[in-house]
Amino acid sequence: MSSTDSTTHATTGTRAGRSRAARVTAWLFLAPTMLGVLVFTVVPIVGSVVLSFFHWDVIDRPTYAGLSNYGELTADTSILTAFRNTLLFMVLAVTLQLAVALVLALALQGRMPRWIQQALRSAFFFPLVLSAASISVVMKYLFNQDFGVVNWLLGQVGAAPVPWLTSEGWAMAAVVLVYVWQQFGFSFLLFVGGLANIPRELHEAAAMDGATGLRKHLRITIPLLSPTLLVASVVGVINALQVFEQPYVLTDGGPGDATRTAVMVLYQTAFEQLRFGEASAVGVVLFVLILAVTALQFRLSRRFVHYQ
Amino acid sequence: MTTPAPPPAPRRGTPSRRTLLRAGGYGLAAAGLASTAANWDRLTASDIPGRDGSMLTVAILGSAIDPNQQSVLVEDFQRLHPGIKVRLLAVQATDWNDFFAKILTQIAAGSAPDVVYVATEGVQLFADRLGLALDDRVRRDAGELREFFADVHPSLVESMMYEGSLYQLPVEFNAADMYLSKKVLTRTGAELPPADWTRDDFTALLRDMKRAGGRGFTPFFWTNRLWGGVVPWLFANGTNVLTESKAPGGDWLWNTFYDPAMRRGRGGGFRWTTPQALDARVEEVYEYLASLVHDGLCSRPEGGSGTNLIGAFSTGRVGATPAGGFWAGGLSAAGVRRDAYDTQFFPRWRTQRHQYGAAGYAILRTSKRQDEAWEFVKYSVRKDVMTRLFQANETTPARRSMLTAERYAKTGPAHWDVFYDTLDRFPTTGPIPAPPQVAAVDLALTKHTATALGSRRGVRPALRALQRDLERAMERDV
Amino acid sequence: MTAVSYSSSSPTAPERLRERVGSLTARRLGTAARVAGLLVVALLTIGPVVWTVSTSLRSPAESFDLPPRLIPADGTLSAYRQVFGQLDVWLLALNSALVTGLIAVGQMITAGLAGYAFALLDFRFKRPLFGLVLATMMVPVQVTIVPVFLILKGMGLTDTLLALIVPAVPTAFGTFLMRQYFLTMPKELGEAAMIDGAGPWRIFRSVYAPLATPGLAIVGVLAFNYHWNEFFRPLILETSNQNFTMPLGLVSLQGNLGTGSISVVLAGVVLSMIPAVVVFVIGQRPLREGITSSGLKG
Repeated sequence: MSSTDSTTHATTGTRAGRSRAARVTAWLFLAPTMLGVLVFTVVPIVGSVVLSFFHWDVIDRPTYAGLSNYGELTADTSILTAFRNTLLFMVLAVTLQLAVALVLALALQGRMPRWIQQALRSAFFFPLVLSAASISVVMKYLFNQDFGVVNWLLGQVGAAPVPWLTSEGWAMAAVVLVYVWQQFGFSFLLFVGGLANIPRELHEAAAMDGATGLRKHLRITIPLLSPTLLVASVVGVINALQVFEQPYVLTDGGPGDATRTAVMVLYQTAFEQLRFGEASAVGVVLFVLILAVTALQFRLSRRFVHYQ
Repeated sequence: MTTPAPPPAPRRGTPSRRTLLRAGGYGLAAAGLASTAANWDRLTASDIPGRDGSMLTVAILGSAIDPNQQSVLVEDFQRLHPGIKVRLLAVQATDWNDFFAKILTQIAAGSAPDVVYVATEGVQLFADRLGLALDDRVRRDAGELREFFADVHPSLVESMMYEGSLYQLPVEFNAADMYLSKKVLTRTGAELPPADWTRDDFTALLRDMKRAGGRGFTPFFWTNRLWGGVVPWLFANGTNVLTESKAPGGDWLWNTFYDPAMRRGRGGGFRWTTPQALDARVEEVYEYLASLVHDGLCSRPEGGSGTNLIGAFSTGRVGATPAGGFWAGGLSAAGVRRDAYDTQFFPRWRTQRHQYGAAGYAILRTSKRQDEAWEFVKYSVRKDVMTRLFQANETTPARRSMLTAERYAKTGPAHWDVFYDTLDRFPTTGPIPAPPQVAAVDLALTKHTATALGSRRGVRPALRALQRDLERAMERDV
Repeated sequence: MTAVSYSSSSPTAPERLRERVGSLTARRLGTAARVAGLLVVALLTIGPVVWTVSTSLRSPAESFDLPPRLIPADGTLSAYRQVFGQLDVWLLALNSALVTGLIAVGQMITAGLAGYAFALLDFRFKRPLFGLVLATMMVPVQVTIVPVFLILKGMGLTDTLLALIVPAVPTAFGTFLMRQYFLTMPKELGEAAMIDGAGPWRIFRSVYAPLATPGLAIVGVLAFNYHWNEFFRPLILETSNQNFTMPLGLVSLQGNLGTGSISVVLAGVVLSMIPAVVVFVIGQRPLREGITSSGLKG
């Protein structure tokens, strides 16, 4: 994944005894994490995969179901819609989240009193401190069509009330906005860090070449920031594809299926409708989907990500 | 690594600062270890008695009963039955689905509770798969229970029957009546509507409210959910999304506890079977609600719980909304004066049948303490116990005799009597449709209600999709 | 290194200086506009939080007041009194603090060790193992909760606080972050120490770990934030009231059928926010330095 990986391999392995000691150390260092991952994630996942070939309602013993749970997924339009929504949500949320965070990080770089800079940085990070479920309850208040503060603000500038939570188009927008509002602080922090690491000389060189403003950013800053962008987008995608709380509280997946996401369907299928096998199948498909998107990101990153 | 990033070396005053940091780090680590050790019992929960399953465990919805009342409930039971050790599990779920998720996980792990608080939504699912029929015990203790049944409307009892057997004793219920803002009525120059008002009276009232209301005012507000959403209108129009009939049986109960007038038409519990979303009367209901939305008399309904309604209602931004006795407690808790609003029955359409949801304790078939559990179930419906639990009117007690002027003198509307009269005056009033497949039915109904009212001419396609989803749901065994 | 990087002091080429004098006023305006824009975004960001706090300080009947009154006309702490009257806030806070604190510390340790191994040590199956760790981030908790419950039951841990802590200590995200962090450190440091005769553990403890403190702070703060607010796992894994964490306890405030007062509900939210804010404030400095110097290379 990174250039340092290969150097690691190239420079070690000189003396056998030492490298054996290093290997033992490595395994000891890894043991707590790998043991935990094995017991609390790998085993449950394998269990879920196995379960996806069974019918199980928790109350009675599981019965073998072959591939029928997977067949069910393709037959149920509402599940297909949920996967479509999840992908759409992921694209909208991650794009917006990265764009907002990047613009803010860049804007914050310019000259301004240091205390303002720090206050702003804390403000942008703050929503990350809150619980997604409780803040979604608050947001439901604020986005109410008739009495919400959001529509009141819009009304002040002459806009008609928006049916944020009750129209198919707007509901997705509301869920994305609430999600991004809470999450962008994380990408923002990554970008602030990444920007600070871009050597100053490169900016100066660019300035001497006459590059300013947007062009400077496009030609110099963004390429240099690309490793950070990759990390932010990988984590962003993995999180966004598992979105649950915001649509669950704000719209309950509605109106219709407009904001129903894969994890919502999974939860409802398992715990409300007692079809744990089918829910496991949804989980397996979602897992493969996330894996595929992440792999694609790393693949694309080879072309676009620029390492110093 | 052509241009290695500079290592994050500590800055100014390195040695002293690092030493300080290190000392601080050790200090913190020591403090952490000490407090971890001091709280070891807390971490392993070995400071909690009765976790080994030697007690009768009763699962309740944590939000339903004030935590302070919960301990009173247990202590009083303990005093009555010193031989039965009881443990109350407050499931801190925000809704029925989360609650059920928790119970199911416990069942999956073989540590199911003995008694579970179950609402109408889950009555038949529990009865079908998990619950213990109470018939023999009710017959055995008939003498003891006569007073209870005499105080409870037979419809509530029937809603807790499944295929001829009784599974729960109703503790509380809530019918969807109409709450009206006095502020809005005064502004409109209208009186509280009479008990026999019609749907057209209702529409006319909304129009008048709208005229006097101005900007930022919504005459009618409702929430899109199984209880209190579309269903009250379906019932008022004499229809339902699933065909409704009565299971045979149940005579053993009716003949023992109710006189002929009261037991007329009662059976062995409700059966909801064939989907009928394309029924002309169902479509009529949706067309009517769509016309209200279109005329600006109500907004498209939001999904989820209606918690954000109280502020809007109390400030006169909403004129009318469907709610049950529970809302009187909610409004009072929110600081709304009792003379700021009043209640009336739901308006008449083809009928004036109302819908309700009820709840009570169910015993699990797998319980090894069924007799002890039964004692708890009987205890839960004692009048003194219910009186203490429902002090704040956060629900409607299932016992008629508890609905008194005194109870509502501080926290209830002037017409508090509609809460129970809904049952007595309209005896066909029944539970929301909740077959064992209730989760799928609920999902389909709320989903397609939202799309039906989401756009003009959306009703017909949405009802066709609703019918399809309901058929799919009902084909499945749960 | 430091947070403010390209401020007014940056040295300039003579050409640029001239150009700069010419458009000084324009620049000032530009800066003012930019700061104003940032302030608007900051207001939007903390607006909902301010609204939450102010609603918790007034009666629910006023919760829909428009324009929203950010400073309540006649504030009252009665909602907070009610929270304390109804809940054993201190026990909830103790449980939450124990769980969250131990998870955060545990994650810092395990992620530090594993991240170091993945970045700077050499061993077989490095890539597939790292892939495996990453992959665990991709599984929603709802999928694994029933098997995890069964495993914990097998260990005799269900309905204990350890049930929340033990499975949460190994962290894919933290390991990922720490690996990226250690990758920015020169390998030569360790090699030099090795020549001086330091063993592998010594090298980690004395050379690399001290340099990684800021990175570990990130892992700790993020773990604290996440697990402090966690709801679903505690709901499923804890049963006794005495084991409830803050988010579970707060559910009681919602009242039967959601009839609890919104002010009281939000007072609970505000109370539970405080420790997370405190940790954030304490962790801000190392967090800032950590994130600034990590570079986070993919």
